[in-house]
Amino acid sequence: MTAPSAQSPLLLEARALSFYRQDEPVFGPLDFRLHEGEVVLVEGDNGSGKTTLLRVLAGLLHIDEGELLWRGGRWLRDAYLGDTLFLGHHLGLKADLSARENLAIAGGLYGTRDGVNANQVLADVGLPGYEDEPVRRLSAGQKKRAALARLLLLPATLWLLDEPYANLDRTGIELVNRLLEQHATRGGAALVTSHGAVSFLSGEPRRIRMHA
Amino acid sequence: MANWIPLWLHKLGSPPIFYRFAGTLRPWALALALLLGAAALYGGLVLAPADYQQGDAYRIIFIHVPSAWMSLFVYGVMAVASFIALVWRIKLAEVVAMESAPIGAAFTFITLVTGSLWGKPMWGTWWTWDARLTSELVLLFLYLGVIGLYHSFEDRRQGARAAAFLAIIGIINVPIVHFSVNWWNTLHQGSTVRILGPSKMSGDMLWPLLTMMAATKFYYIASLFGRVRTDLLAMESGKDWVRQIAEEEAKS
Amino acid sequence: MSQAPLAPACAALLRRDLTLAWRRRGDIAMPVLYALIVVTLFPFALGPEDALLQRIAGGVVLVTVLLAMLLALDAMFRSDIEDGSLEQLVLAPQPLALMLGMKILAHWLTTALPLIVIAPLLAGMLHLPAAVMPVMLLALLLATPLLSLLGAILVALTAGTRRSGMLLALMLLPLCVPVVIFAAGAVAAAQQGLPWLAPIAWLGAALALALVLAPLACAAALRIALDA
Repeated sequence: MTAPSAQSPLLLEARALSFYRQDEPVFGPLDFRLHEGEVVLVEGDNGSGKTTLLRVLAGLLHIDEGELLWRGGRWLRDAYLGDTLFLGHHLGLKADLSARENLAIAGGLYGTRDGVNANQVLADVGLPGYEDEPVRRLSAGQKKRAALARLLLLPATLWLLDEPYANLDRTGIELVNRLLEQHATRGGAALVTSHGAVSFLSGEPRRIRMHA
Repeated sequence: MANWIPLWLHKLGSPPIFYRFAGTLRPWALALALLLGAAALYGGLVLAPADYQQGDAYRIIFIHVPSAWMSLFVYGVMAVASFIALVWRIKLAEVVAMESAPIGAAFTFITLVTGSLWGKPMWGTWWTWDARLTSELVLLFLYLGVIGLYHSFEDRRQGARAAAFLAIIGIINVPIVHFSVNWWNTLHQGSTVRILGPSKMSGDMLWPLLTMMAATKFYYIASLFGRVRTDLLAMESGKDWVRQIAEEEAKS
Repeated sequence: MSQAPLAPACAALLRRDLTLAWRRRGDIAMPVLYALIVVTLFPFALGPEDALLQRIAGGVVLVTVLLAMLLALDAMFRSDIEDGSLEQLVLAPQPLALMLGMKILAHWLTTALPLIVIAPLLAGMLHLPAAVMPVMLLALLLATPLLSLLGAILVALTAGTRRSGMLLALMLLPLCVPVVIFAAGAVAAAQQGLPWLAPIAWLGAALALALVLAPLACAAALRIALDA
């Protein structure tokens, strides 16, 4: 599913990207390229800087050294933001709102894909019947699914998923893999972190190894 | 923006260069500060004549007024360094801004204490809501806010940037506070005592004052450089130049 | 694919914050209750003498409202940081300053507005003359959004730290001194039968300036504080 086809256009390119915290290198220098239709697994032990890398790529942290190119041009915040979706450890769900309300806000801020609506998306991630339940009453896995529903609703090309498999059961893991597959065939791309112990992605995805 | 400004800043802003530069300058600044300070105190406390209204009590101005000037001057330096730190992300500017804050706070505190000591014989009370004293008190809170914010972050550089932003907001705030406090004072017809009237100061009083002003400036430089050097060593402890210095120190 | 237009994004965010506040109505009542308690304590501490209470009424109500707002200020971004909503907001393809402006507006509507509504009651408890009441309300209507805007910048600066209640008060004090002076000054002037328009005009000017600049400063502060 993730065969890096040479002809698909280049989406994101990192050149000697590194990040320091208090002058201690967190990761890097790191070089990689991400094409459209590609899903890449970021692997590494705890503390190897996987989350930091994703936060840098999302635009939450500034780049200390190195270069980041977006669609072959300079990485510009405004061009980048609408086309990227970040899913971190904190799911970005309001506990007092229902899954449907949470999706409505995400759609309001990011826009929505054509021909998709919240109900349909929630059914897709396996939460039918829970649309109007406050998120606080959902289980950890269900919350994760509610957050994953954002991926289906919002129009981003690049997904940055930090530990998307955490808290999920077997069907949940399959769900993530299915979402990634669909996204790739649609021409989207994704960077997915995993602490390397288990790789759930079917097939043989390309990997970026990070060292502590 | 002219290109040479960041370039020049980057050169002097490199920690090892500044460390050496500050190390050479610091003893001279400290010596000058002590010398000028002693001269100014002698001139102010011994040579200057007693005031015909206030007697000897006025002599506290030789401490009070230079401190008050310094409290504002240091804030200015801190704000400029903060601006540089935020715009060009220069580490040295962050350190200068953050190490200026405690020194400035100390000067502000001295101003408040001497002002209050002076107030007792002059106004018969330790504290009065005089416009200038009140502004000075607000300034102290500004300093404390900057220091507090800096230390509440785990990452020192991030804390420095956040506190630098606060310092810049503060410097916009200082004139507003001064203006509003003046307005408030006239509204309440309070105890606006003009301490230094419009009367001209005699030369005997003026030169110790100006000398003390120079002394406090040099003291600030000496103190700041010392603090910045320590901070640079701590922040760059992993770098080669620090290791070199440590080895040299160990040998001698 | 459709990019999210600006106006619906603002509306969505505002609706979200107001809905959240409504689902936790108890939290809205807290600052109001706090203000009520503080004002009740003054006559006990100073004696129920009408003339004295009348003289301090304006100032006490203003300071009480300020403190009550300070109580709620810390919560402006707290829950959004904890559940990651703030990251999603920062990364949204919308002007961050405007989005934060919406959050500040929601915060003002849910904390300051209830306080303004009970302000006449508070002032009445301290025998503020009825003729001065409109001036006090006008001063509050201008001063409270100013405090919300200034406070938002500071809360954004402390976003990267853990609990910061006391620090926030320390940082806010120098910024709110002019606001308190002019707001209380207007009330005092009205009470003495003096012209009160000048301080109100100053407050209005400051508010106009803050409406434009504070959200921008807030966005800049937030970027600094989150960058770790």
